[in-house]
Amino acid sequence: MQPNMAFQTITGQGSGASSGVFPTLVFVQGNEQRTIVLEHSPYTVGRKVDKDLVIADPRVSRDHAMIVSENGQFAVIDQGSKHGTYVNGERVERKVLEKNDRMEFGVREVVYIVFNPQHGTSNTARDFLSQISGIHISDETTDLEKLTLFLEAARKLNTTGVLDEILVTLLDTTLKLTRAERGYVFMKNDLGNLRLAAGRNSKGEGLLDDKTISHSILDDALKSNSEFVLTDTSQSLDLAGRQSIVAYDLRTVICIPLRKPQVQTTRGVDAPLTPGPAEAMGALYVDSRFASRDISSVSNDILRVIATEAASLIENARLVQAEEASRRYQQELAIAASIQQGLMAVTIPEVPFARMGGRNLSCKEIGGDFFDAVNTEDGLAVVLADVSGKGVSAALLASTLQGMIYSQLIARMPLPEIMTSVNNFFTHKHIGEKYATVIIARLRRDGELEYVNCGHVPPLLVCNNEVIRPSHGNLPVGLLSDAKYESDRANLHPGDRLVLVTDGVTEAENAHGDFFDNERLEIAAQKGNMENIFSAVADFCGGTPLNDDCTVVELTYTGNGDR
Amino acid sequence: MDLKIETRQVDGVTILGCRGRIVFGEESGSLRDAVTPLLSSTHQILLDLSGVNHVDSGGLATLVSLNSSARAAGAEMKLVGVGTRLHDVLQTTRLDRLFQVYDDEQQALAAFKEVNTKRSAS
Repeated sequence: MQPNMAFQTITGQGSGASSGVFPTLVFVQGNEQRTIVLEHSPYTVGRKVDKDLVIADPRVSRDHAMIVSENGQFAVIDQGSKHGTYVNGERVERKVLEKNDRMEFGVREVVYIVFNPQHGTSNTARDFLSQISGIHISDETTDLEKLTLFLEAARKLNTTGVLDEILVTLLDTTLKLTRAERGYVFMKNDLGNLRLAAGRNSKGEGLLDDKTISHSILDDALKSNSEFVLTDTSQSLDLAGRQSIVAYDLRTVICIPLRKPQVQTTRGVDAPLTPGPAEAMGALYVDSRFASRDISSVSNDILRVIATEAASLIENARLVQAEEASRRYQQELAIAASIQQGLMAVTIPEVPFARMGGRNLSCKEIGGDFFDAVNTEDGLAVVLADVSGKGVSAALLASTLQGMIYSQLIARMPLPEIMTSVNNFFTHKHIGEKYATVIIARLRRDGELEYVNCGHVPPLLVCNNEVIRPSHGNLPVGLLSDAKYESDRANLHPGDRLVLVTDGVTEAENAHGDFFDNERLEIAAQKGNMENIFSAVADFCGGTPLNDDCTVVELTYTGNGDR
Repeated sequence: MDLKIETRQVDGVTILGCRGRIVFGEESGSLRDAVTPLLSSTHQILLDLSGVNHVDSGGLATLVSLNSSARAAGAEMKLVGVGTRLHDVLQTTRLDRLFQVYDDEQQALAAFKEVNTKRSAS
């Protein structure tokens, strides 16, 4: 049975604290309770003193059982013990372990171990790596293997990695392996300037100040095409212009530009196997003042691996962060859309003299169309509005507009005055070039209809199967601050119907590029109610999807009721 | 970016020939950027929209805004080459009264000349 590479046989004691990455065993004997980290495989249990877990009881066999790791799972295997191995009270030869499984070896109710898988999702790359670095890895492992292991593990675990933690881990690892005194990570900001992202010294303390760093070496390294630059200033004769080095007596500096992993483009048989150098997104800088810390002897291979792997690591972390930000934004947008849905939900008032209906067909999640209905002593008012543009900005204005109109209708303001105040708001506030077309129609119990049309598609009046288009109109709101608004009136008879639509209806296109237009609208309105209009549009468009929201509002005067 | 603007001068009038779409975003922005600097130097601007196949609500808002800016700067802005759809929209929104729209370049230039004559006469 080959042990997993990640769980090599160790010498020396295991750590007592639970890392959350390796599974743990909780060992219980009487009043004593101990947590053991299962950090290698196979893990042996028995009476012999060289076992990983020694249980000194005569009923426990010398080589009693072992816990092994296979394919990401753990299993307990009895080694032919005299009194047997039990899991959750049942005797087993071999069993895959699950969380909270209780193992007993030879004796019952006296000593037991509880298995706790504790997967590493709650852990950061940092803890994992410090966990590993706490283990004394055998001398046969080369520095290069150690580094590869660290960085690969960090990358794999970086499913939810925080960029800063990754940078600190990277620094700690690099410092350990290069035996440098202090290290810094610099990252380029949006303007292309280097800013200090993290700093550590070999004692594990954070460093905030980069004044004593040789920025000139840093700049040179970034401009060069090399994978790393190593400067032993005790050998260097040309120190003119290297102020920090002279001032702080820096001896050895290693500067590793971090280049984004490049996608290789095929250029033929003679193309080099490794991609050419890309622009650096930052740099890793380590230095040492003391001559005894001879970091110039660090293997070039190690530095090369750091250069390539580190950049991928950081890039991944950045991508994860960007994805998280995008996800949060999508969530905010969804919340905004649902609030808008709430505002748009119209409760059709019940009035004895009229019947009202309205429907909005959205082609987007959030948009600038809305309709509303308000019943007051002045009559039943219906509002239909269309804010220019699309998306969140249009929706914001639509909701504001809705609120303003609603409250002024309730306050029984005259229709032209409502439009003047709304126009005032829209033109005086600095909201860019946004406007809205609005139509408000208010029907009184006696059949008088007052309407104010502000740049909107003319309403349809269906009287005795005839379609009339009252043509009175005004400018839209939000375009010109000195615009004047006037209303117009008409008289309805019982059975007469007022139909309001947004231009999404008249401008609906079919596959040939024809528009639905006013003629078809008038025919559809004459034939039937608003459902008829929606069907007519759907039939006309065929498979072509709508490119704008369609709203239809219908108001039928049923009569005074007194007759 | 789907809008190309070519500027030329005829009889002291700056004519901006537009081809493409005048819509929300870069296109509206570029039209604004083309007209605004002219307002301080020229008093007569003609927008030729015969090559424009689509104007959306954002484009319309930009045209209105440019019209207002021109007026405020003491300049005159006229439109020519307004297609059927844009003409309908201008009618519905009552903006046809706001803009000075002409059927062709000759008429527009003639109207500019008349204004000039009036100005020099007063």
